[in-house]
Amino acid sequence: MMRNKKIWFAAMPLALVHILVLGARFFAPYDPAQQHRDAPFAPPMRIHFLDARGKFHLRPYVCARLNQTTSTGSPRYAEDCSHVWPLRFLVSQEAGVFGAAPGTTWHFLAVDAPGQVFLLGTDDYGRDQLSRLLHGGQVSLFAGLLATGLSLGLAMVLGGAAGYFGSWLDDGIMRVAEVFMALPWIYLLFALRAFLPLNVGARQSFFLLVSVIGLAGWARPSRLVRGVVLSAKQRDFVRAARGFGASSVYILRRHVLPETYAVVLTQAALLISQCILAEVTLSFLGLGVGEPVPSWGNMLAALQKYYVLENYWWMLVSGLVLVPIFILYHLLADALQARIKPSGSPEMSSLTPQRLRVAI
Amino acid sequence: MAHFLTQRLARALLVLFGVSLLVFILIDLAPGEYFQEMRLNPQISRETVAALRTQYGLDQPLPVRYGRWLRSVSRGELGFSFAYNSPVWPLLKRRIGNTLILTITSLVCSWLIAIPIGIRMADRAGRWPDRISGIGVTFLQATPDVLIALGLLALALRVRWLPTGGMHAPDFSETEGLGGVKDLVLHLVLPVLALTAGMLPVLVRHVRSAMLEVLDAPFIAAARGHGIRRYRLLLGYALPAAANPLISMFGISVGALLSASLLIEVIMSWPGVGPMLLEAILQRDPYIVVAVVLFSTLFLVAGSLLGDVFLYIADPRIRVE
Amino acid sequence: MRFRLAHALLVVTLLPVTALGDSPVRQAVRPEEDILVMPGAIGQPGGRLVASLHTDPKTLNPVTVVDLPSKEVIALLSADLIHINLYTQRTEPALAKSWNVSPDGKRYTLEMRKGILFSDGHPFDADDVVFSFKVYLDDKVHSPQRDLLQVGGKPIQVRKLGPYRVVFDLPAPYAAAERLFDSVSILPRHLLEHAYEEGTISKAWGLATPPAEIAGLGPFRFKQYLPGQQIVLERNPFYWKADARKNRLPYLDEVAFLVVPTEDAEVIRFQAGDVDVIKVNPENYSALEGNQHARDYSLYDLGAGFEYDFLFFNLNDLSAKQLPEIGRKQEWFRRTEFRQAVSAAIDREAIVRLVYQGRATPLWDQVTPANKLWINPAIQQPLRSLERAAALLRTAGFSRGADGTLVDVHGSPVEFSILTNPSNTQRTKIATIIQDDLGQLGIKVHVVPLEFQAIMTRVFDSYDYEASILGLVSGDADPNPEINVWTSGGGTHLWAQTETRPLAPWQTEVDALMQRQTTVLDYRKRKQIYDRVQELVATYDPVICVVSPNILVGAKNSLAGLKPSVMRNYLLWDAEQLFWRRETVGRRQAVGPSSH
Repeated sequence: MMRNKKIWFAAMPLALVHILVLGARFFAPYDPAQQHRDAPFAPPMRIHFLDARGKFHLRPYVCARLNQTTSTGSPRYAEDCSHVWPLRFLVSQEAGVFGAAPGTTWHFLAVDAPGQVFLLGTDDYGRDQLSRLLHGGQVSLFAGLLATGLSLGLAMVLGGAAGYFGSWLDDGIMRVAEVFMALPWIYLLFALRAFLPLNVGARQSFFLLVSVIGLAGWARPSRLVRGVVLSAKQRDFVRAARGFGASSVYILRRHVLPETYAVVLTQAALLISQCILAEVTLSFLGLGVGEPVPSWGNMLAALQKYYVLENYWWMLVSGLVLVPIFILYHLLADALQARIKPSGSPEMSSLTPQRLRVAI
Repeated sequence: MAHFLTQRLARALLVLFGVSLLVFILIDLAPGEYFQEMRLNPQISRETVAALRTQYGLDQPLPVRYGRWLRSVSRGELGFSFAYNSPVWPLLKRRIGNTLILTITSLVCSWLIAIPIGIRMADRAGRWPDRISGIGVTFLQATPDVLIALGLLALALRVRWLPTGGMHAPDFSETEGLGGVKDLVLHLVLPVLALTAGMLPVLVRHVRSAMLEVLDAPFIAAARGHGIRRYRLLLGYALPAAANPLISMFGISVGALLSASLLIEVIMSWPGVGPMLLEAILQRDPYIVVAVVLFSTLFLVAGSLLGDVFLYIADPRIRVE
Repeated sequence: MRFRLAHALLVVTLLPVTALGDSPVRQAVRPEEDILVMPGAIGQPGGRLVASLHTDPKTLNPVTVVDLPSKEVIALLSADLIHINLYTQRTEPALAKSWNVSPDGKRYTLEMRKGILFSDGHPFDADDVVFSFKVYLDDKVHSPQRDLLQVGGKPIQVRKLGPYRVVFDLPAPYAAAERLFDSVSILPRHLLEHAYEEGTISKAWGLATPPAEIAGLGPFRFKQYLPGQQIVLERNPFYWKADARKNRLPYLDEVAFLVVPTEDAEVIRFQAGDVDVIKVNPENYSALEGNQHARDYSLYDLGAGFEYDFLFFNLNDLSAKQLPEIGRKQEWFRRTEFRQAVSAAIDREAIVRLVYQGRATPLWDQVTPANKLWINPAIQQPLRSLERAAALLRTAGFSRGADGTLVDVHGSPVEFSILTNPSNTQRTKIATIIQDDLGQLGIKVHVVPLEFQAIMTRVFDSYDYEASILGLVSGDADPNPEINVWTSGGGTHLWAQTETRPLAPWQTEVDALMQRQTTVLDYRKRKQIYDRVQELVATYDPVICVVSPNILVGAKNSLAGLKPSVMRNYLLWDAEQLFWRRETVGRRQAVGPSSH
C-alpha cells in the first residue's frame, strides 16, 4: 500500500502537467505564433490583488505596460497602473475580440482588448511565453516519451538478444553499439537533413525528431540490459525453465526480461530528461520543429546566450519548468522500481550469479 | 588475462576501422565540401575553385580517397587538412593532450563527488537528505550544458579571481615551472566544474540505484546484525558488491564525458580538439573530422577496456570462469 | 624623450629575433630611408594589444589565404603598394611612393620607396615586387589573388624597369586600377623564391614555421603561435612609417590574438579585461552598455556597414533538373509584381527594431549609407504597405480565397519555404518576421533552417530551393568587386546561376551598365551609371534587400589613436598608430603579468 501511495504521489502531478499541456489551446491566453511587435522582451506582468489604495479585489488584475524603449538599445518597460485590466476566466470569445487566434472558442484566461496579459513575459518577437510554454510542452514531452520508448524498446530487444544468445550475435551487436556511441552525431544529422524535402510539415518533423533521438539513444541502455541479462541467464529458475523445454522467447519474455525492469526504469527516467534536452541541440541544428511552432527545446536554445542571462532573466522560466517534471519522473521510476521487485528471489537480486561474465 | 587483452585489442582495431569507414561515407553523404564556401566570395572565380578541388584530390571517388588516407595513416600523418594546408597529426598532437587533461581531471572529479553523494542518498533513501540531494541533482540535470557553462563564465566575471576562459594566461611562457602549474589549475576550475555538473546527475543516480540494490541483500542485513558500523558497512561491504554495474558505468562515462567536453571546450575557449572538430565539421575539412572521431573512439574503447580490467581485478567471481 | 635618447645610444645592429624574449629595440629613422610620415596623434611607445579571433588562423601565407582570421593576422604582417585608407575610402601611396598613368590608362609606372628593409633586415627593392606578382599570377599556384588581378578576364603584366621602378600593363583601361593593389602583400623574394622554384610555395609559411623564416613589410612580425590559444606578433623594428615627429611606428610592442570560439565568451573576456577590442552584435552591445563606466571601456555604434542582407527567390532555369514543384512555383517568383509585393509587405522597421534593437538600416537596394561615394540618394524608400502589396498581387492575377489564403491564377495556394542558416541568428529572425508579414497577405511561408554548406549546395549546385535569406559584404566601396553578383553569368549571381545570357530587358541593361563602368575613368560618369544600376535593382527586385546591420565595436578607454572603420579590420586596420595612454603604458608591458 505504501508503494501504491508513492506511485500516485508521483503520477498525479505528472498527469496534471500532461493535461495542461494537451489542453494548451484552452489554457493558453494567446496563440503561440502571435507576434506582438510592440512588446518584445516584455518582463512578466505582476498580478495584483491589492490596488494602490490597499483595497482587496477578488478579481485580480494586471496593469497596462508603458513602453520606454529608446530608438536603439534593449527594450525597457514600466508598469502603468492608471489603466488596469481585470483577469477574466473561462471566457468564450469570438475571433478577434481578445486579439487571439481566430476560431478558438473557449479560453481559460484572458483580458479585454486592447489589454495584454503576459504572465511570463514575451520573447524577442513579442510572443507570450506562457502560451509558448504550454504549447511547447506538447512537442517536448511527447517527443521525449516516444523517443524514450523507442530507445528502450530497441535496447531491450538488442541488449536482451545479445546477452541471451551470446557468441557472434553478442559481439556484433555490441560492436555496433560502440560504433553508435562513437560517431559524431552532428555529421549524421546534417546528412539526414539534407535528404529531407524542403517543406517538411510540423507533424512530420515531430516524428523525425522522435526517430532520430530514439535511434541515437539505444546504445547505452542496451549495454546495461545486456549485463543484467547475462547474469540472469545463469539463474536457477531460468535453467529450470530451459530444462522444462521452454523456448528462448518464452524464457526471455517471462523470466529474463523482467529482471531488467529495474535497470530499464532507472534508464527511462534518465532518458526522458536526456531526450528532452537532446531536443535543444536538435533545435540548434534545424532538425527540431520549425518556426513558429514552439517547443521547450527551441525556447531553451534561444536562452543560451550571454545577453539573455544578463538582461532577460525571465526567459529562464522555460528551463525551470523542466526541473519539477524531471523530479516527478524520477520519483515515478523509483516508485515503480520498488513495486516491481524481481519475483520472490531469496538471493540478492542480480549481483551474485555463479558465473558472472563481464557485464559491459 | 593476456588472451583476454589481445582479444579485446583485436576487436578494438576492428571497431576503429569500421568507424573510420563509416565517417568517410557520412562525410560524402553530407552536402557541401570544403571549397564550396569559396563560391560565395564574389572575388574568387569558378575556375580557381575547380582547380583547387583537383589539386587536393576532391574529385576522386571514395575508395581512392579512403585508400590514400590509409596510406597517410601508415605514414603517421593521419590525412591532410585543407584549411591548415598541413598534415593532420601535428595539428592534433597538442590539442589531444589538452583535451585529455580536461577530460581525465573531470572524470576523476565527478566520480569522486558522485560516489559519496550516491552512497549517502542510498543510505538515507526516502528521507530528507535523499530528497534534497535528489532535487539538487535534478536541477543540474535539467540545465543544458551550455547554460551551465555560460552561467559559470558570468560568475567568474563577477568574482574576478577566476580566469574567464582559455588554458593559460595570455602572457604565458612555456618555461615556467610551478607558477605554470598553478596557472593551469586555475584555468581548469571552470571547465571541470561545468563538465562535472553535467555528468553528476547520471553518475549519482546510478550509484544510488546500485547501492540500493545491494543494501537490500541478506548479507548486508547479516553484517548489520553482527554490529558492523555504518561507514565500514557501506564502504567495505556494500560498495564492492555494487561495483559491478558501476564499473560498467565508468566505461560509459568516459565516452559521455568526451562528447560533453567537446562542447564545453568551445564555450570556454579551451584549446582541445573540440573547437577544431566543430570548425572542421562546419567547413567540411574531412580528414580532421575522421582523425578526431578515431581518437575519441580510441578513448572510448580504452575506457571500456580499462573498465574490464578493473572488473577482472576487482571481482573475483569473474576469474572463477 | 628620455626613452628615445636611451635607445639612441644603443648600437643599431640587426638584432637576432628570439622566439620569446623582450621586444625588439626601437630603431631610429635612418636618413637614407624613404619613410612615409603618417599624420595623426603622436603617441607613446610600448604596450601590448590583445584582440580576439573566432577560430585559429590557418596560415601566414598571403598567396593561399582565404579565411578571415588568417587575413586579419596577415594584414598586420605585410604591406601593399597602394593602400586604401578605410577612413576616407580613397587610395594612398604605401610602398609605392608615387606613380603615373599613361594617357590610354593602360600603363601604370610605380616608384618604390628606397632604403627600406624587411622585418628581418633584408633590403626591399623592385625584385620583390616583380616576384610577388609573378607568384600571384601563376596559374599553377591557383592563388585566389589571381582572380582579383585580372581586367576583362586577362591578367595584368608586371615588368621591372629599374631597381625601384615597376611597370604594370593592364589589358584594358580600368577605372579602379589603383584599388587593385590594395591588400596585395609584397613577398620577400629572399625567403620564398626557393620554395616557388620547387613548386612548394603553397605549403610555405604554415603556422608551424619558425618565426625567423617569415618576414614582411608590415608593422608587426610573427613571434609565437600556441595552437587553440593565441598568436602573438611583435613590433617590426624596421617598419617604414613614422609619425610627424619622426618616431618610427608602430607604437605598440606586441599584438596578440586570442582564440575565442563563441561571441558570448568574447564578450565576457572583453569585460574581464583579457581582450582590448571587440566587435559585437546588437544584443551583446546592449548587454555591454551598462558596464561601460565600471569596466573602463567604450562602445561605438559606427552606423551602417557594407553588408546587405536580402531575400531572394530561385530564378534558375530548372529544365535540366527534376524539380517540378519548384518549377511550378517559379511562375510566381518570376512575376516582377510578386517580388515587388513581397518587398512591399516586409516590415523593415520592425526588423530593425526587433532583430537589431534599432542598430541597423533598412535597405531597398544593395548600396548602404556607409558607401557615401556611391550611394544613390534618390532611391525610393517606401513605407511598408499591405494595401500596395495586395494591389500588386491582384494585378499579377493572385486573389484571396475564402479562408484568406492567397491563390494564383490556377487556384493553387501560394506557399513556399525560405532557407536560413541557424548559426546566423539575425537572419533566422528576419525570416520569422517575414513569415509573419507574408502571412498577413495570405501567403504561407515555412522557415527551413539548414546548415550553411547545405544551403551552398542547393544554391550553387542542385538549385533545389525556393527562397533564401543571405547576406553579402562588399569588399570595397567601389562597385567593381560587385560585378559578379549583378551581371548574368557571374559567379555570385546567386538567384539565377543558370542565367548566362540576360533574360529580362532590365537585366540586359544592368549587364551593359556594369561593364561600362569598369572602363569609364571619370568618377562622376561612373556614379551616374551605377546610380542607374541601383535604380534597376530597387525597382525590379532581383533580390529583395532588407537591412544592413550597423557595425558595433568596443575598445578600452585607455587605447588611443582609434580610427574605427565600418570595414575590416574595424579597429586594427590602423594598428600601427594605436597606442596606450601614458598612465597605462607601465601596466601593459609586452611581457609580465596581465592586468586582471
